[in-house]
Amino acid sequence: MIQLIAFYLFAVMVVGSAALTIFARNPVHSVLWLILAFFNAAGLMLLAGAEFIAMLLIIVYVGAVAVLFLFVVMMLDIDFAELRSGFARYAPLGVLLIVVLAAEMIFAVGAWSAGSLALSQRIAPTPDEIPNIQALGTLIYTRYLFIFEAAGLVLLVAMIGAIVLTHRARGGVRVQNVWQQNKRRPQDAVRNINQPVGQGVEL
Amino acid sequence: MIGIQHYLVVSAILFAIGVFGIFLNRKNVIIILMAIELILLSVNLNFVAFSAYLHDLVGQVFAMFVLTVAAGEAAIGLAILVIYFRGRGTIAVDDINRMKG
Amino acid sequence: MSMIASLALTLPELILSTGALLLLLVAAWGGDGSSRLISWASVALLAIAGLSLGCANGVAFDGLYKADAFSNFAKALVYAAAAVSILIAPRFFEARGAMRAEYPILILLSSVGMGMMVSATDLLTLYVGLELQSLAAYVLASFMRRDSRSAEAGLKYFVLGALASGILLYGISLLYGFTGTTQFGGVATALGDGISHGELFGLVFVMAGLAFKISAVPFHMWTPDVYEGAPTPVTAFFASAPKVAAMALLVRIAVDAMGPATSSWQQIVIFAALASTILGGVAAIGQVNIKRLLAYSSINNVGFALFGLAAGTPDGVAATMSYMAVYIVMTLGSFLCVLQMRNAAGDAVEDIASLSGLSRTRPGLAAAFAIFMFSLAGIPPLFGFWPKFLVFDALVAIGLWPLAMIGIATSVIGAFYYLKIVKTMYFDEPAPAYAPSASRMENGLIALSAVAVSPLGYLAIPLLGALSMAAARALF
Repeated sequence: MIQLIAFYLFAVMVVGSAALTIFARNPVHSVLWLILAFFNAAGLMLLAGAEFIAMLLIIVYVGAVAVLFLFVVMMLDIDFAELRSGFARYAPLGVLLIVVLAAEMIFAVGAWSAGSLALSQRIAPTPDEIPNIQALGTLIYTRYLFIFEAAGLVLLVAMIGAIVLTHRARGGVRVQNVWQQNKRRPQDAVRNINQPVGQGVEL
Repeated sequence: MIGIQHYLVVSAILFAIGVFGIFLNRKNVIIILMAIELILLSVNLNFVAFSAYLHDLVGQVFAMFVLTVAAGEAAIGLAILVIYFRGRGTIAVDDINRMKG
Repeated sequence: MSMIASLALTLPELILSTGALLLLLVAAWGGDGSSRLISWASVALLAIAGLSLGCANGVAFDGLYKADAFSNFAKALVYAAAAVSILIAPRFFEARGAMRAEYPILILLSSVGMGMMVSATDLLTLYVGLELQSLAAYVLASFMRRDSRSAEAGLKYFVLGALASGILLYGISLLYGFTGTTQFGGVATALGDGISHGELFGLVFVMAGLAFKISAVPFHMWTPDVYEGAPTPVTAFFASAPKVAAMALLVRIAVDAMGPATSSWQQIVIFAALASTILGGVAAIGQVNIKRLLAYSSINNVGFALFGLAAGTPDGVAATMSYMAVYIVMTLGSFLCVLQMRNAAGDAVEDIASLSGLSRTRPGLAAAFAIFMFSLAGIPPLFGFWPKFLVFDALVAIGLWPLAMIGIATSVIGAFYYLKIVKTMYFDEPAPAYAPSASRMENGLIALSAVAVSPLGYLAIPLLGALSMAAARALF
C-alpha cells in the first residue's frame, strides 16, 4: 500500500514537473522543474529496485547536467520574451498530436507480460544474494568492459569538443611557470646585510 | 509490486512531453535541450522498469550507459549553443533564417 | 572466449583509439602548429587499421561485437573516406586561420564509433558506437566557430540528431522489454514467433532513428542546412563515411535482428526509398548553392541504395553495399571539385552560376566534374550506372518490378539537374575564372576518383562484386 502511494506521488510529480519544464516562462524555473523531475524519477527507480541507477541519476543529472544548464542560462544574456513569440500558434495542434502519440504508445506497451521466451533469453538474470551495485559492477567490468571503454571515449570526445569550441586563448595573461618557480632558490631572492647605523637603506 | 504498466505509462507520457517540448519551443534552444533530457529520462525509466520486471540486469547496464552518453551530449550541446550565441547575440533558431530551412 | 582473443578481434578499433590518444598528447604539447604532422599520422593510422582488417573473423565479448566480411567491407570504405576527409582539410582551414590539431583526432575517434556501428551485434554496441560517431560529428559541423553559418549548422545537426537518438533509444528500450535481450540474434528469435504491438513500435522507432542518420525522407530536413553550413571538408566527410556506416548498420539490424519481421520493415524501407529518390530529385532542381544541391543528391542516392535493402535478399544487400562503395567515390570527388571553387581573392564560392564556362577556364576540372555528375545521374557508360543496375536487378529478381520501374523513372528526374550543371559548365558564357589550384594532392585525388568512376571502373567489377557478395553472405 505504501509502495502504491509512493509510486503515485512520484509519478504525478515527475509528469507535472516535466510539463512545467517546457511551459515555464523563465528558463531558470525550467531548469529547477527539470531537477525536480529527475529527483522524482530517481524515486520511481528506487521503487523498482534499481538503487545504483537512481543514485547515479541524482549525482550525474542534478549534480552535473542541471548545474551546467543553470550556468549557461545565467551566463548568456538572453531576451526570453522574444523567444516565446509563436508559442501559442503551435500549441493546440501540438497537444492533439502528442495526446494521440502518447495514447498509441500506451496502447502498444500496455499488453506487456513477461513471456516465457523473453525470460529464457535473458543475458544476466538479477542475482538474489548480492546487492544491486555489486551485481552491476561485476557485469560492467567483465562482460561489458568493451562498451565501458567506448563510453570513456565518448566522454573524451565530449571534453575535446567542449574545449575546441569554447576555449579562447586570451592575450596578456600571466601564467604560472612551475619550472621557474621550483628553480628559484632563497639566495636568488633574499640578501642578508649588516645595516650600518645612520645610513639609508640601499634598494 | 506495482504493475509494470504503470511505469510504462509514466514513461510514455514523459516521452510525449519531451517531443512536444521540442516542437512547441522551436525558437528557444535551451528548452529544446531540456526536452531532449526529458526524452532520455523516459527511456531510462523504461529500461529500469523492464529490467526490474524481467529480473534481468542488462536494462540497468543500458540505462547507465545512456546516462553517461547523455551527460556528454549535454556538454557538447551547450558548447555549441555558447558559440552560436557569441556569433549571433541570440539563441533564437528561426524558421526564416540565414539558411533557408 | 578469453578477453585477449576478444580484443584481438577489435584490432582496428584498438589501433585507431590508442593512436588517437597518443596524437591527442602530441596536439596538447605541440599546439596547432603540429596539425599537419598529426593529419599525416592520422592517415597512416587509418591505413594501418585498414590493413589489419580481415586478420581475424569471429564474435567477440560474448556477442557484443562481430568481425566478419560485412563489417570489413564497410570499415574499408569508412576508413578510406575518413582519410580523404583528413587530407583535404589542412589547406581549407589554414586559408581561414582555423586549422586545429583536434580535427584529425575527432575524425579518428568518429571512425572508432563507425567501426563499432558496423560490427555491432548488440543494441548496446550499436548505441554507444552511434553516439561516439555523432558527438564527434556535432563538433566537426561547428568546427569553424567564428563562422555563424558553421555554428548554426552544428546547432541544427545537434538538436535533430539528439532527437533522433532519443527516438532510436525508445525503440531499443521497447525491443529489449518485449524480447528480453539486447542481442540481435535473440531479438530475431523473439520476432520469429509473431510480432506484438510493442515489438512493432520498437521496430518502427529504431528504423526512424536510423533513417535520420542516413538522411532518408521523411527524416532528411537537416541535410541541406547542415551540408551548406558546415565547412566543406566536414561536409565531404558527412556525405561519405557516416552515411556508409549508418547504412551498413541499418542493413545489419534489418537482416540480423529483424530478419523474421522482414514484411514489417520492408514497407517502411520501400516508402523511404521512393520518397527519398523523388524528393531528392525534385527539390534539387531549384537550388543555386552547389553544397545544397549535393545534399539533395545524397538524399536521392541514399534512396536508390535503400531499394537494394528493400529487396531483402543477399543480392539486394550486395547491391546496396556496392552502391555505397561507388557512391562515396562519386561524392568525395564532387566535394573535391567544390573545394577548387575559389575566386581570385581565394575565398570559397558556392553558387552554381559561378561554374558557367568552366570548360574554357579550367578544362580539366570541368571534365572531372562532368564525369562525377554523369556518374551520379547513373548515365550508362560511366561507373555510376552499374550499382543502379544491380539494385534494380535485385528488385526485379523478387518480382518487385513495378517498384523498379518507378525507380528508373525517378532516376530520369534526378538526371535533369546533374545535366543542368554540365550544361552550365560547357555551354554558358564564362564567369570570372577560379583561382588556380595549388595543391597537387587534391588534383591527384580528383583524377584518381574520376578514373575510378569512369568506364575504366568496370574493370573493378569482379573484385567489388565478389567482396560485396561475400559481405552480404556473411549476414544471411
